[in-house]
Amino acid sequence: MLRLEGVCKRFGHKLVADQLSLTVEAGEVLALLGPSGCGKSSLLKMIAGLEQPDSGHLSFAGADLAGVAAEARRFALMFQDFALFPHLDVLGNVCFGLIEHGVARAAARQQARACLQQLGLAGMEARKVWTLSGGEQQRVALARALVTRPRLLLLDEPFSSLDADLRRQLQQEFRQQLQQAAIPALLVTHDREEAFALADRVAVLQAGRLVQCATPAQLLAAPATPWLARFIGYENVLAEGVVPEQALRLGPEQPATAVRRIIQLADGVRVTVAGADGELTLTLSAREVQQYAARLEVGSLLHVGIDRAAMLSYSAAC
Amino acid sequence: MSERGRRAGLALLPLAFLLLMSILPLLRLLQEGQGAVSADLFTDPYLQWRVLWSLLQAAASSVAALLIGLPVAWCLARYRFPGRSLSLRLLMLPFVMPTLVAAMGVLALFGPQGLLGVNLQDTPWLLLYGNLFFNLPLVIRAACEGLAQLPASRIAAARTLGATPWRVFWRVEWPAVRPWLLSALCLVFLYCFSGFGLALLLGGQRYATVEVEIYQLVSYELKLADAGALALLMLLVTGAIATLYAWLERRLAAPLKVDPVLPRRPQGMEWLQLAAALAMLLLFAGLPLLAVLWRALQALAVSGFSLLHDEEVLLALGNSARFSAMAVLLAALLGWLHALAARGSLWLRALAFLPFVVSPVCVAFGLLLLYPQWSASLPLLLASYALLAYPFVARSLAGALDSLPRHWPQAARSLGASPLRVFARVEWPLLRPAFRRGLAFAAATALGEFAVTLFLSRPEWLTLTTLIYQRLGRPGADNAASAMLLACLLMLLALLAFLIIEWPSAAERPLRKES
Repeated sequence: MLRLEGVCKRFGHKLVADQLSLTVEAGEVLALLGPSGCGKSSLLKMIAGLEQPDSGHLSFAGADLAGVAAEARRFALMFQDFALFPHLDVLGNVCFGLIEHGVARAAARQQARACLQQLGLAGMEARKVWTLSGGEQQRVALARALVTRPRLLLLDEPFSSLDADLRRQLQQEFRQQLQQAAIPALLVTHDREEAFALADRVAVLQAGRLVQCATPAQLLAAPATPWLARFIGYENVLAEGVVPEQALRLGPEQPATAVRRIIQLADGVRVTVAGADGELTLTLSAREVQQYAARLEVGSLLHVGIDRAAMLSYSAAC
Repeated sequence: MSERGRRAGLALLPLAFLLLMSILPLLRLLQEGQGAVSADLFTDPYLQWRVLWSLLQAAASSVAALLIGLPVAWCLARYRFPGRSLSLRLLMLPFVMPTLVAAMGVLALFGPQGLLGVNLQDTPWLLLYGNLFFNLPLVIRAACEGLAQLPASRIAAARTLGATPWRVFWRVEWPAVRPWLLSALCLVFLYCFSGFGLALLLGGQRYATVEVEIYQLVSYELKLADAGALALLMLLVTGAIATLYAWLERRLAAPLKVDPVLPRRPQGMEWLQLAAALAMLLLFAGLPLLAVLWRALQALAVSGFSLLHDEEVLLALGNSARFSAMAVLLAALLGWLHALAARGSLWLRALAFLPFVVSPVCVAFGLLLLYPQWSASLPLLLASYALLAYPFVARSLAGALDSLPRHWPQAARSLGASPLRVFARVEWPLLRPAFRRGLAFAAATALGEFAVTLFLSRPEWLTLTTLIYQRLGRPGADNAASAMLLACLLMLLALLAFLIIEWPSAAERPLRKES
């Protein structure tokens, strides 16, 4: 559906897109994952038509998007702060896009009501947007985007202004809504959990470059580079590969290493040791502590080794 | 002493001052207005026309300021171009310009033997143009501020929901700036309706306003009762508008700290749009001042500085400097006290607005009625200067005090500073820019004051403004030339005040809606 080819964009000295190529397939949710300031949001704005790329091509369903104004693309963009219009009530906000697309007011209201009901917001039509809770605002913003049946949904950190519990709950709901609507979506986030939870495929960006684009399982099984492995949460990243927790071995037959740091957790201990290949960090359960490290303190010895066969090697960049 | 008691103590002096210099004179005026009025005062077609025209020109000026100001403001807020921040800063210039300078600029352009070759004297256009010089920047600044409060995401959301830029303007931007515009238009109407200096010089016989009529009734015809009745009418209208303004102002949303829309480079036809906006700005806000400068240079080329070498000029310069300095000192004292007292008190803060919204003509007239024995005393003249000038200091300082977090002084105390040292090392350095700005506004106000001076002055207290007015009234090319030179001098002094206000504080947020 959406295809980006060799897209470049520069703001002053900052390169926000460097020869980026990507595709989003029909019905797919693709997450753009990257650290803050890597150019994800700018990329989203280019796709929405709010910024123009310096070079490269964007197309949707085979048609070139160059010169197509933002309002003519039918891509709905949902913002981090939701960008609800304060001078309109909930119903007015949801109707906004329908009216712009030429739907008659009465029909627009009816459709908007149906959409609000579907999202569990029945009865809130006349509420002022600033009286809504964060979760309600998020749902209204989603309703406003979905009700126009956009060809593509663009989501800019849609959960980052919500607290952790609400975020988890809404993410599940969100995933269902997206699947029901069968609209392809592009989600921008800096939160790997969110990307893995919501997306079919994840594209990881670093300083305007695409480092790897794969399903969450593939990313975890074969990260492309050491940087990416660290970014998606691996702690023990060595030059020759990643050491996942399950590749670490404990027991007297393993080489002795000196304990550098200890962090007490609710259900165990995180220990950093100085091994032959560099520092290794591992989480020990209470039982493991008792078995292998009865006298655990900084400077004491712990037998830790690496099972080379269980290590993950870096895949080539995609 | 308790916080309340301390505040009441601070408020005592400014409140007493406001009572004696503003509230009591207005009450006296109300009394006078009910007095022995000429029977046919309000059925007289001449006066009916005066009242009607006062309302009409204020309404027309407001509508014109909106129609011209909004597109110009939009271009200034949304387009990035070389000289943008300079243009935004220059918008402040009319706020410190004396009405006399503006009026002479307008006359130099469109008066008899005007630079543009069109004589508009004795038409309504002169006054309307003069009104726009002062009030267009007010509307533009308000609209720019309103547009800047609008988060970029809201506009982008509307675009992606299918709205064209034009529809985005109507459905998102216009509703957001409307409250800002309404409150600015209230002020525009108020200033135009109760305007005195411009109407006196530009209105001519037919297009002068009620304020001018009051002045003439008092000064030339000595019909105090009739003047009182008219002043009462003025007070009713301005009071209603001022109340509306206060109510609108309260409803303005607190500034949101979200990502504002960044101005972008215009493309293609948009350059044309921008050029048109800047041309409008130059035509209405720049041209009169340039005309004064041009005419003054011409006068200088013909007769050199000899026109300025006479005793009257020296006397006027000395008086202007002396009176302004004393008024500013008084304004500094009252402004500090009022600002400190108004910290956290809404009604005390609102009270600082009073001298802004009441017309100086009404106040001066009320003072004459209330204190006839002091009608020609210097303290009364200086006190009325201070009355008009001190709210600038009070408002500027009150704003700065509000934005000063309370825990900074507390942190300084905990680091071992005594209250006096806290003031010297933390509070004063942070308040100083606001204080300096307030003083510059106060000085510009005192320097350019014209209405009160005409009522309360005596020949030996000649100031720059009264001297210019006198010379304008005398025949002869020499008098006209020296009036122009003096107006240019006054303009340069106001420019100096402007530089103090705007230049070193580029990083700070400029004051809003002060005039």
